[in-house]
Amino acid sequence: MAFAIHLVRQIANAVALLLAVLVLNFCLIHLAPGDPVQVIAGEMGGASADVVAALRAKYGLDHSLAEQLFTYLGNIAHGDFGYSYYFNEPVLGLIAQRLPATLYLTLCALVMSVIIGTLLGITSARRPNGIFSHTVTVFSLAGYAAPIFWTGLLLLLLFGSVWPILPVVGMTDVVHPKQGFSYIVDVARHLVLPALTLALVFIAQYSRLARVNMIEALSADYIRTARAKGLPEWLVIGKHALRNTLIPIVTVVGLQFGNLFAGAVLVETVFSWPGMGRLVFDSILRRDYPTLMAVLFFSAMMVMAANIVTDIVYRLIDPRIRTGRP
Amino acid sequence: MTTLQTSTPLAIEPLDLPARPAASPARAALRQFLRSPSGVIGLCLLIVLVLGTAVGPILYPVDPLDLVGGPFTPPSADAWLGTDYLGRDVLAGLIYGGRATLTVGAVAALITIAIGLTVGALSGFFGGAVDAILVKLTEFFQILPPLLFAMVLVTLFGQKLTTITLAIGAVSWTSAARLTRAEFMRLRNLDFVKAARTAGAGNAHLILRVLLPNALPPVIVSATLAIGVAILFEGGLSFLGLGDPNVMSWGLMLGQNRNYVLDAWWAVTFPGAAIFLAVLAISLVGDGINDAANPRLRRRT
Amino acid sequence: MGALLQVESLNVGLRNGAGVVVPVIENLSFEVHSGRTTALVGESGCGKSMTALAIMRLLPEDFVITGGRIVLEGEDILSLSPKRMRALRGNGMSMIFQEPMTALNPLFTVGDQIAEVLRWHQGLSASAAHAQAVEFLRAVQIPALEQRVNAYPHQLSGGMRQRVMIAMALAGRPKLLIADEPTTALDVTVQAQIFDLLAKLQQDTGTAVLLITHDLGAVAELADDVLVLYAGRCIESGASADLVGHPRHPYTRGLLGCVPHLKLGQRMPAVWSDLGEIAGMVPPLGARGADCAFLARCRDASDVCRSRPQPMLEPIETDHAVSCWRKSEIAA
Repeated sequence: MAFAIHLVRQIANAVALLLAVLVLNFCLIHLAPGDPVQVIAGEMGGASADVVAALRAKYGLDHSLAEQLFTYLGNIAHGDFGYSYYFNEPVLGLIAQRLPATLYLTLCALVMSVIIGTLLGITSARRPNGIFSHTVTVFSLAGYAAPIFWTGLLLLLLFGSVWPILPVVGMTDVVHPKQGFSYIVDVARHLVLPALTLALVFIAQYSRLARVNMIEALSADYIRTARAKGLPEWLVIGKHALRNTLIPIVTVVGLQFGNLFAGAVLVETVFSWPGMGRLVFDSILRRDYPTLMAVLFFSAMMVMAANIVTDIVYRLIDPRIRTGRP
Repeated sequence: MTTLQTSTPLAIEPLDLPARPAASPARAALRQFLRSPSGVIGLCLLIVLVLGTAVGPILYPVDPLDLVGGPFTPPSADAWLGTDYLGRDVLAGLIYGGRATLTVGAVAALITIAIGLTVGALSGFFGGAVDAILVKLTEFFQILPPLLFAMVLVTLFGQKLTTITLAIGAVSWTSAARLTRAEFMRLRNLDFVKAARTAGAGNAHLILRVLLPNALPPVIVSATLAIGVAILFEGGLSFLGLGDPNVMSWGLMLGQNRNYVLDAWWAVTFPGAAIFLAVLAISLVGDGINDAANPRLRRRT
Repeated sequence: MGALLQVESLNVGLRNGAGVVVPVIENLSFEVHSGRTTALVGESGCGKSMTALAIMRLLPEDFVITGGRIVLEGEDILSLSPKRMRALRGNGMSMIFQEPMTALNPLFTVGDQIAEVLRWHQGLSASAAHAQAVEFLRAVQIPALEQRVNAYPHQLSGGMRQRVMIAMALAGRPKLLIADEPTTALDVTVQAQIFDLLAKLQQDTGTAVLLITHDLGAVAELADDVLVLYAGRCIESGASADLVGHPRHPYTRGLLGCVPHLKLGQRMPAVWSDLGEIAGMVPPLGARGADCAFLARCRDASDVCRSRPQPMLEPIETDHAVSCWRKSEIAA
């Protein structure tokens, strides 16, 4: 019950913050140099005089700023995020088409990075001064410092020309379209490189985090208790130490979701993954402001959703939050 | 018991403490820093990179925007690291581009820390309503993916190096703010702060002279790391086509040559490697500072 | 009847940064019998807990057993395989730790942490183990069992947590129970309850108890045999009533002088009743020579003590031995 109330409060908070993002977008339209109508239409949308006049009327640009804000929010409440004159399509439709591909990529990279990162961290924590541990440390330093678009390009170079065993472009094989199960395999093969590229930087961070926290957990008294109970090492590590190691990782995963999403945009442009990344790239090139702002809004929405999920997972793992501290 | 020695329990010499006289905190920290291998390696690497961009033009006097040869010339005696898609010298680009990239990194990090420190310090020091508002503000900026937000800002306000720097600084201050706030809240309740308050110190004095110096060590670490993040952001923005086309930078080189990676690997690989090394050097230095600031933590892990 | 646990000339060392092994425990020998309680007494840093961890073979990294034997029911523990050792822990012998808050995992219910022992050692099903866990919680007299079994450690008071620890230690029906300062972290009133509980449970189960404490009051009430450790060396040992009633070693006398209200039924001898504390500290590791480790703090030290190594533990009566050059003078 307390949890339901908490969840409702979280969602209300999320809605308020998202509303604030819309207000920010509105402010940006008016703060940007030049005529707001240019921003709404997109500079290179080739908006004709008629279109400009229509937009002025629609967004009430002759009225006061407050009225304009209400008009803007009202439009969005009706699902109208503006019109992309470059793509010749409503922005909402554009985003809806691209979001699923980005979600596959993001979630796949998320799962990969958490699992691989935690495993590497835990394994290296067993012998903090061993060779494996030092290798993981060096890898995590390098993985953190390597720009994601650069690793992407290097992998593209490697698998595109040197060792062509994996597809480096797109999401499906366009030349030989697949059906049913082989379609899934096809998508999975195309997903390997983008997901790996995106995951690498987070694997680096989570392995480092998991290593430090595992070392900390292993020195805790309750681990000695678990050993004194005669539990086998896999239970000591896999049950008693692992859960305590996961708590900070869950927190950081939540905090990093925005970076994960932005990373996905960069990676998508490298491997031509048909998600939001390509959309962002084209919109920047064509100065398609409505699309860019909608992308910002929807990415904020996804971060919000991720935060709520993180919070739930956190509560599942740590009873101290659920039941209140003493 | 085979040997007979006299025990000296009155002259206790703890085993692992240095027997040197106490040095000033800054010197002690420097000594700690120089003892951390990662810090020293990072510092050397960073010095090499900075020197390279500073002295480079004397040793390799080529204009990075000049067309020195045909496009896609592989590395050769004329152009040591080859030429890009327009025929510009890649090595010259690295030397001059490094100046812009490192400057953007440093300035953006300064902005990040300035905003983060201000927000975090006010929030942590005053608490109550001020804190509630600033926390909400931080929370708001936190849900906007920083790179995407910077991208929108740069698209709207123009592809200038200054705009890019400001945008990066404006979007990435949240973690510095959270860190500073936590430090200030922790310190606020310690006895020496209460003592200063009782002695009649004003808020400004308390914040700037009492709390800030004590909150600095973790903030310095985070500032160091912020330089690395800003460099990565500059690269990311340029990669999305949002670099300043009139100023050579590592990010711009990557962004402009990315489509030709299969034709001229050198034009992409080297600028990327430069960013990689710079960020690596900076995070190693950050690790070293961290070790120096928290010797206790280092010993434990 | 033979002893359940025999510790023979146990030596434990700490490998320091330079790779040198510094002695932590030297030539420690004692026995623990079924149904009886042996107490290890001494200040912090005297090697009491390390002795316990050595018996469990759970010494922290860098601590090494450099010599001696530890025999539990005829099995030499030090030569057992890790697998056999795990089977013994929690089952043949178990341990109660000092700080029940940190010794329990904060993320699992207490019922789960007790049931774990039963599931692993006795192969019980989840539900059977849970039901048994409730019974063990009942045995340690925890009220409102049905809710407490599903509580997390942070929801319980310190005394309740330590009861949970005891239930957990008893769950494997161990022949040897090691209690490492089980009451240090608790309020005084709760301390008495926990000691009473331990005594009652020992009566019911016939377990051998190795009690580690610096509380000589508890020793007088609970223990059958006592060893006093100082700087890793046993300096006095004997039957509890005898040793507490007639301490010989100046250190033991000092310790007894620190106990505020000793319920002995006897008046304290006037000679040492004014001792409120023992000045100084236990010499740190690496600063312990061959001469009497207590020398620097000893009020009774004479030239004899300064010129010779620490004497062997020598019997002065049946069941009472002491390591002191001036034992006969002090006895007088």
